[in-house]
Amino acid sequence: MAQTKRMDKMIKKIPRRDILKIYGDLLSVLRSEARNEIIVLTRVQVRINVPFDRLKNYIKELKELGLIEDEMSLKLTEKGKQYLEEYEKILDFMKRMGFIYEYRERISGT
Amino acid sequence: MSANIYPMERMIVEFVATILCFVLVRFMIKPYNLTRKGSYLGLPLGFIFLGLSYAFAAIVYSPLSFGPELLWLPLLTRTFAFVFIAMTYFFSSRNSRKSQLFGEITISLLTIALAILLLLVFVAPDFSYPSYTHVNVYFRFFNVICLSYVAVYTIRSHARNPDPKTIWIPFGFVFLAISQYSLLFWYIDSSFSAFVGSLITRFAGLAIFLFVAYRSFYGSDKKDG
Repeated sequence: MAQTKRMDKMIKKIPRRDILKIYGDLLSVLRSEARNEIIVLTRVQVRINVPFDRLKNYIKELKELGLIEDEMSLKLTEKGKQYLEEYEKILDFMKRMGFIYEYRERISGT
Repeated sequence: MSANIYPMERMIVEFVATILCFVLVRFMIKPYNLTRKGSYLGLPLGFIFLGLSYAFAAIVYSPLSFGPELLWLPLLTRTFAFVFIAMTYFFSSRNSRKSQLFGEITISLLTIALAILLLLVFVAPDFSYPSYTHVNVYFRFFNVICLSYVAVYTIRSHARNPDPKTIWIPFGFVFLAISQYSLLFWYIDSSFSAFVGSLITRFAGLAIFLFVAYRSFYGSDKKDG
């Protein structure tokens, strides 16, 4: 419950339209790419389907928000994992409610 | 029209439905928080107005006596609640910027229309009571159409991607539609069983929404399906 409230507060602080979806999708791709030894940004770019300069900006923003860290390679922080968990719960809820979420489906299909 | 049968029980039933709706708003706002698409705002707004309509109904059916104008409050807010929900589903699958803008304008216009109608009821009381019974039937019929649209939409969404997780929500909307349909019968022929049936199906619908929200945010089967 407390974790959900924290994430809700954080979500409200981020003002731009659709950015939460992009952050969630990017974190999801980074998590799955973390299984490889090195995260190749061009691969991430293809999967997330955004221009490379914008991808670099998003990664910078995620670092500033403390959702990812850059040690040897990009890695989700504990906060990033919590964000992704909440993001996936909302997507699951939207799916159960009968809404169609195309952007996400495109990513998971790659 | 025997609106005041079992006033205390009716008041309690409406009060419980109000609480359920406001609990649901907490979950219904999340898709909007995530996507920032104005059209998703119709979902929490719909449940807020639905909750308000039950709250107004609790006041109307309480043993305290209020003016007949108050009967319009639950009727108008409930109808607008279902319109908001139907609009959310209608615009959710339209992803172009133009459609999104149109969705946001529609939601804003609906809010303004509701405010004007409520003002009309209280500013011009002559407009209110004499035609209430007839308008009530038309509004209930319109509610059934809105809820049927959403039920069909969610059934089609489930049919496109069959998943055991998505089968519940259509039932939720079908139950709410049956609830409105039963109330139609109650207003037409004062059938007590239709009245009780409408309350039961209303709670069945709201319980399904709560169940779905609970499974999504606190359940353990998130990864199944």
